[in-house]
Amino acid sequence: MIRLTDKTLTRRALLLGAATSSALAAFSFPARAIDSNKATKVLDTWYKLLLELIRHTATYSPPVASRAFAYLGVTVFEAVASGNPDFRSMAGQVNGLAPVPPRDNAPYDEACILHGALVHSMNAHFGNTGPTGQRAMLAMTKKLDSLAAEGTAPEVVTRSMAYGLAVSEHILAWSANDGGAVIENMGFPFDYALTEGPAHWVPTSTVAVQQKPLLPNWGQNRPFTLPQGDLCGLPTPIDYSEDPTSTFYADAMDVYETSKSLTDDQKAIARFWSDDPMLSPTPPGHWVSIAMQIFERDATPLPLQVETLALLGMAIADGFIACWRSKYEVDLLRPITYIRRVIDPKWEPLLNTPPFPEFPSGHSSQSGAAAGVLAALFGTNFAFTDATHADDGLKPREFASFQAAAEEAAISRLYGGIHFRPAIDMGLKQGSCVAGYVLKVNTRA
Amino acid sequence: MVGGGAAVFDCDADDRLDVFVAGGEGPAGLYRNVSETAGGIQFEPVSGLDQTAVTGAYPLDVDSDGITDLMILRVGENHLMRGLGNCQFVNANSDWGFEGGDAWSTAFTATWEPGAKWPTLAIGNYLDREEEAFPWGSCTDNWLHRPNAKGTGFAPPAALKPSFCALSMLFSDWNGAGVRDLRISNDREYYKGGQEQLWHLPVGAEPQPYTEKEGWKRLKIWGMGIASRDLDADGSNELFLTSMADNKLQVLNKPADGQPVLPQYSDQAFKRGITAHRPYTGGDLRPSTAWHAQFEDVNNDGFADLFVAKGNVAQMPDFATNDPNNLLLQRADGTFFEAGALAGVASMKTGRGGAVADFNNDGMLDILVVNRWEAPQIWRNLGTNGQWVNISVVQSGSNRGAIGAWIELKTGEHLQRREITVGGGHVSGQWAPFHFGIGNAASAQVRIFWPDGTKSDWQEAKAGQVLTIKR
Repeated sequence: MIRLTDKTLTRRALLLGAATSSALAAFSFPARAIDSNKATKVLDTWYKLLLELIRHTATYSPPVASRAFAYLGVTVFEAVASGNPDFRSMAGQVNGLAPVPPRDNAPYDEACILHGALVHSMNAHFGNTGPTGQRAMLAMTKKLDSLAAEGTAPEVVTRSMAYGLAVSEHILAWSANDGGAVIENMGFPFDYALTEGPAHWVPTSTVAVQQKPLLPNWGQNRPFTLPQGDLCGLPTPIDYSEDPTSTFYADAMDVYETSKSLTDDQKAIARFWSDDPMLSPTPPGHWVSIAMQIFERDATPLPLQVETLALLGMAIADGFIACWRSKYEVDLLRPITYIRRVIDPKWEPLLNTPPFPEFPSGHSSQSGAAAGVLAALFGTNFAFTDATHADDGLKPREFASFQAAAEEAAISRLYGGIHFRPAIDMGLKQGSCVAGYVLKVNTRA
Repeated sequence: MVGGGAAVFDCDADDRLDVFVAGGEGPAGLYRNVSETAGGIQFEPVSGLDQTAVTGAYPLDVDSDGITDLMILRVGENHLMRGLGNCQFVNANSDWGFEGGDAWSTAFTATWEPGAKWPTLAIGNYLDREEEAFPWGSCTDNWLHRPNAKGTGFAPPAALKPSFCALSMLFSDWNGAGVRDLRISNDREYYKGGQEQLWHLPVGAEPQPYTEKEGWKRLKIWGMGIASRDLDADGSNELFLTSMADNKLQVLNKPADGQPVLPQYSDQAFKRGITAHRPYTGGDLRPSTAWHAQFEDVNNDGFADLFVAKGNVAQMPDFATNDPNNLLLQRADGTFFEAGALAGVASMKTGRGGAVADFNNDGMLDILVVNRWEAPQIWRNLGTNGQWVNISVVQSGSNRGAIGAWIELKTGEHLQRREITVGGGHVSGQWAPFHFGIGNAASAQVRIFWPDGTKSDWQEAKAGQVLTIKR
């Protein structure tokens, strides 16, 4: 059951009619029936496949995954919002998005619209996936063709599918010039000059393609909601030092000593939030998975589902853009480099160190942003169970709030030995800043 | 998609290596070697094994009658074919109690457990073929076929749970302790909660995977093939694991004094120039896709080299389409350099299985690659002046091929060691004399460590000799 233990009036409460204020009457849904069950089934099925394709498509590192989640979320939101007078399009509110094509004055079917949009969008975003993913998309298309059309007049099916396609084409055209559309060599540049000096990032693995850092220009991408004048930048972290009395040394010792005394629960936390690309739906996919589990548990209405997917998608995408900009401005070395150089040459962290600079923590930034948005939608003390990795044999974890989950995701990077504590703390703050901008987008009429 | 292997063995006892090639959706084929010694390589087809849905094959003498049999892996029922001689075979599933099952079989290895008259066969299986929309997490069980209690064939297979879409398997004495465990390389594309695996195979007891408490460390790769060789003759095999982009060269970590050897490896592929992660010629800069791999000394300098068959899975645009095979020659210091283009084996076809073997008995190893959608290719080796010896190892009774034995070969101070195994590669196996390059030496000293731990005396093998060591 949902527990709204705080007094915050959430968007979810509004959409569920939990609030009784007459001022909220405008948020009730139109009388015409939406076959919500069919439409949510279409949405849920495509998003489950989306999580798998993120995991199994080689270009989908976490930043790239966040971008797909954002554009797909906006797509499904705009597709539904165009026929719902309670919603307001995000066109003109998010950077560079022009109004989507309007619907004709004729009957539509929401399931068919969503299916038409997602068939096109998924194939566009995952045209580069392997043969298994291609077969899965084809099989899914056929399966959902039947489901979406069930009980709907053929001309309505045709009109609705065409409209979904039009919305998808519109969003994809908008996405094409944001700076993140083309990924080569799995995101690793062929040429890149490392910054000189002991404070800066150097390769941390013996994987040949990872001798250059991942996506060094990702921070220059067009954000969704961040304004040009404020990209949620962070203050410069403390100065590099190898002096045992320095704060930097103390931060490294914090990582080192933590790694030497990890409890079983801390190890489980590190692995639960590890969210490695190609082995999981990635950190942004983890948060989308959380949202989908809530949808299923609570039978969340379709409008709130698409609103959540859009706002959450933009939050994690902008979280990564802000984070990546900071990462390459600071270009800080990883704990494994410092600790092996200064403290213990044989030290091994619990997790594999990701192949890009340390500060701030990407998982922390995007988790902070995701938690901020989800708390606004569902409540600040919204309890949930996260079984994202159940299929991989990791036990579900319970959280009292989205913020608690974000904080656990953040500290997991310390337990894993891949981040200093300041990167974690500042990452969460950066994410909170991003969430603030995302929540300025007015999705209600 | 996966599969496409070859079996190389002498099916007609004429001392020339014949070839059985998987056909995928088309028929497989057996080809008799009619090459003249040191001449051009030529084959002619032999009827009788033109089965469909074959993924790969491994030759071995299952019933220890001195005639090589053939394990044929298929999408569907696997076939254990008993050799009759003169390249004729009969399906022995029923006679030997071998249950062929119904799966997408993609890996195989065999060993003789201590005291057994029949081999123990491990078969790796891939996806559930029915799971088209959500294939991920649908890896099907691998099987372990152990001898039956009567000693007349095989017991019903046991499932090796958990199974993670195996694409290569190898029974091997990984730490030189005289015990052969089961190493499995798994395709991370499809498993959930999976990893590379190493299994204990205790005599008379259920197999068990090594655990983290025993020192096993998680590794998750697109595992597609295993090449094994004790490159530094220190008593433990190095393992080259093929994958997509970077490949791995696993070197067993040395324990501290007095400590047990744990199954923990360091990856030395980068350090030794053997990542083979991207095409080295042809201009395609996208990451590579590696399949069959095999260590053999192709230039007869006394150091095992590495051949890797390459090819895109199908049409994966993020990975190289023009993906040349690798021929990585080993230097005396243990590092490798690429010689594929120089050697002329940099084919851009879509490689899968293969073999490095001497098809024209000239003492120089040739290369076979099975390609997807196109005909196999064979390259004749024209390019070495080094000397060589071939070693055949034969036991009386069961396990005639001495699977599990080690060959030691010495030229001066230079020692080479190799384990006799059946398995590994990418659905491709061989049953042939073991080739050693010896550089400029006129002869070599050879001895065998038999599977039961006893060892032979040193024997001399002269350059150019095929020496058979029996017991």
